[in-house]
Amino acid sequence: MPGAAPPPETEVVAIGREIAAALPAPGRHPVQAIDTRAMDLTSRDAELKAALFRFVDVVPACRSVDDLAAHLVGFLGEVDSQTPPLRAAMKMGDSRAGRAALGTAAAAGVKHMARRFIVAEDPGAARRTLRRLWRDGTSASVDLLGEATVTTAEADRYAARCGEALDALTAIYGDVPARPRLERDGVGALPRANLSVKVSALTPLLKPDAPAMGQRDAAPRLRELLRHARDTGAHLHVDMESYDSREAITDLVIDVLSEDEFRDGPSAGMVLQAYLRDGGELLDRVLAWSAAHERTPPLTIRLVKGAYWDHEFVEARQHGWEPPVWEHKAESDRSFEALTLRLLDARPAVRVAIASHNLRSVAHAIAANRASGGDDAGLELQVLRGLGDDLGHALAQLGHRVRVYCPVGDLVAGMAYLVRRLLENTSNESFLAEQARGAALDDLLAAP
Amino acid sequence: MSPLEPFRNEPLAELRRGTERARLDDALALLDARLPLRVPVWVGTDRREGDALPSTDPGAPDRVVALAARATTGDVDAAVAAARGAFPAWAATPVNERADALVGAAAWMRGRRAELAALCVRECGKPWAEADADVAEAIDFFEYYARGAIALAKRPPQLVQVPGERNTLRYAPRGVCAVIAPWNFPLAIPAGMVAAALATGNTAVLKPAEQAPGCGLMVVEALRAGGVPAGALALLPGEGDAGAALAEHPDVTTIAFTGSGAVGLGLLRAAAAKPPRAGSLTRVVAEMGGKNCVLVDADADLDDAVPAIVHSAFAYAGQKCSAASRVLVHEAAADALLERLAGAVEVLPVGQPSEHGTVAGPVIEREAQERVARYAALAADTGRVVTTRAAPAGGWFAPPTVVTDLPADHPVLHDEIFGPVLAVEAVRDLDEAMDRVDALPFALTGGLFARNPRTIERVTARSPVGNLYVNRGITGAMVGRQPFGGNRLSGTGTKAGGPDYLLQFVEPRVVTENTMRHGLVVD
Repeated sequence: MPGAAPPPETEVVAIGREIAAALPAPGRHPVQAIDTRAMDLTSRDAELKAALFRFVDVVPACRSVDDLAAHLVGFLGEVDSQTPPLRAAMKMGDSRAGRAALGTAAAAGVKHMARRFIVAEDPGAARRTLRRLWRDGTSASVDLLGEATVTTAEADRYAARCGEALDALTAIYGDVPARPRLERDGVGALPRANLSVKVSALTPLLKPDAPAMGQRDAAPRLRELLRHARDTGAHLHVDMESYDSREAITDLVIDVLSEDEFRDGPSAGMVLQAYLRDGGELLDRVLAWSAAHERTPPLTIRLVKGAYWDHEFVEARQHGWEPPVWEHKAESDRSFEALTLRLLDARPAVRVAIASHNLRSVAHAIAANRASGGDDAGLELQVLRGLGDDLGHALAQLGHRVRVYCPVGDLVAGMAYLVRRLLENTSNESFLAEQARGAALDDLLAAP
Repeated sequence: MSPLEPFRNEPLAELRRGTERARLDDALALLDARLPLRVPVWVGTDRREGDALPSTDPGAPDRVVALAARATTGDVDAAVAAARGAFPAWAATPVNERADALVGAAAWMRGRRAELAALCVRECGKPWAEADADVAEAIDFFEYYARGAIALAKRPPQLVQVPGERNTLRYAPRGVCAVIAPWNFPLAIPAGMVAAALATGNTAVLKPAEQAPGCGLMVVEALRAGGVPAGALALLPGEGDAGAALAEHPDVTTIAFTGSGAVGLGLLRAAAAKPPRAGSLTRVVAEMGGKNCVLVDADADLDDAVPAIVHSAFAYAGQKCSAASRVLVHEAAADALLERLAGAVEVLPVGQPSEHGTVAGPVIEREAQERVARYAALAADTGRVVTTRAAPAGGWFAPPTVVTDLPADHPVLHDEIFGPVLAVEAVRDLDEAMDRVDALPFALTGGLFARNPRTIERVTARSPVGNLYVNRGITGAMVGRQPFGGNRLSGTGTKAGGPDYLLQFVEPRVVTENTMRHGLVVD
């Protein structure tokens, strides 16, 4: 498959070092340092980690402080190595007063953690954060967290929330100061308002064995959102989810965007997951489609590693299937770089956003972009709120065009998201975890 | 033949891939062109064809899937006599050879996965995912019991030994096994029961459900192709009278049955009352009905619980023994659960089983359709119908229905409906829910959605059911992973696809040899 030439390794390493130097020194954010240390601690003790994650997961369903404490004690009771602090917590569970104190403290802890990853309860409430990010030189894509959609009413409700979010974002960005780097690339203007949507929330009928069913049901809601985005001048990005829904989402986006109505907008995008073994084939298909269906502005493709690795791997193993994902992190990392080169080479038929917290992957993309004659502002880099804040900040300072993926929603709706992000953060192979443990920069920047 | 690899479940078809779905569609088209299949009474090498017993497509009853001969009492006598005649040689066949025949049958089915799944779709109205799982489970039973029989023969439990005596325990086959099979797992269940009998050295006579003779034929074809001698396995397509004659036959020593409670209890009675000339007590392995409850605590994650309950209650139109028929939900979660459950059932894909994505297909026959309608009407009379779907025309469709507010003694809360009706009850707490579960005569499967580990422990300790599923759907037991079967009136407590199942098909014999002669110990 054709692609841009790989950039010189020396260049990748030099850029990586430059970004690393721009990262804030440890200790500058005291609260975050506490969080980081807590996550590191739990990541070393798999049982404690599992207990705490299960607790975080159940918090919204607990009916009282007492109930919260009872759950926490229940989970902690399953941890084999009962350290003194653990025993102390367990003992608090024996009395009503103890449970009140324990439950209150635990609820506060979870809420604090959630706030790090979830910007606000709703888009309107995210106003201050989004405007501050913009002023500081980063744009955002807002993602509405929600319960799973199992009914038509829930799908309609989610679509309505998305519509309201588009209006709220338009208002929020209406009078922000101009940030030319964030508002234009080589192809043309970039919308300020940017919303990411999930097809699994747009229909209750996303069935792995019948992709056409979910596609049919979601299409009218997606069309409505696309019209709304076009009318408000916003960008609409369709997220990719687990492999079970991959075919339905891909077909839906391609089919709807092929309709005449959407030939000239809105700005829209989809996602490519580098951890999928057949990621290259999907890109073949999308690029062939873009070539055959010229639209303005071109489709934006966000390249991510993929957030459902554990789910995909376990599910495949349970069913006796070949996992659709690469088994080793290095394979996904290599795939990420290969897809980066192909995407960069495919411009301007598509727009490219590189979404990664892996210093090496980001440096590689920047180097490849420069090697292909692009300027830094021509390449969008994306990070996640709560996980990639420092990296995003450093990249923006270095003059890169950065977008922060900002989940918005209440605690109940956000728990599944939160747990997935925590898992990513404390997973043994996670780049951030390695970085936090002080792995040598050269190792982190080595070719995968 | 080299030793067998450790058991591993046959992978299910990966239906999320379009290529896999297309393969199944092609197989269905090929099958349709061959219908109707001819199913003989098959005793030894003698095949008597006939058309007295047709099976039809529940989704399109005009389509005849198979034309079967109807077994007479004469056929029953001939089949049992043949099985009795073949017994000594098959019992004396080394266990490895018997196991090889089962593994051969598995290979035969593996080579026809799509074709067999297509037959399940047509003959029993199974949606693709369920049909494919049926074939995979049949293969699993062959592979699992092949290994189990070898283990039983080669590694029997060790007895206490003292100097001067040698104690050995071995298992001998019991004789002729009558297998009376249901239509709802038309390949897997007959395959499992027949394979267990054959693997341990018994000979078998299979009476498949009258609704599924075509699938029954495939089980016998597979085993014969795998190397089971003609005399050791006979096929008797027929109706209840043939099954009764077979079960009551004096030369049958074991009855393996899966089906309704009424028939199962009848078999147990008949077996006990057999005339003394039978020469042995007849053992009955019976898997019968259920009234399976899913408990939902206040802390349950409804995002998980709703889809799992809907699937457990309505997949294959609720016609699995393991299907959910009651939900007992903590009052704090009841309103939310009921609302989401109703909404989810409103979008449940109901339709032809051959269409990918269909969850609830037709029920098996007109009588079943009428039975479901009767119970739905009873529920509507005294309770509240939360939602019910219009049933498609053409086949034996029964509308998926969710009901609530039923009095404690209502038949819908107690009878096995075996169709797509789900009753929801709010309870004060899980203790009340467990009391209600405990009051049922059935104890097959159960479910629990709760997140506090202590709650899970408490319910687990008290639950009487044979298979309890925690925070997942309550159907889809896998061979070797979830040995399956119920307690109380749900069955004789044997576990298909588990380590103890084969013990039902053998008789233990202990030999104690004095190894001391004049003070000399010979070991």
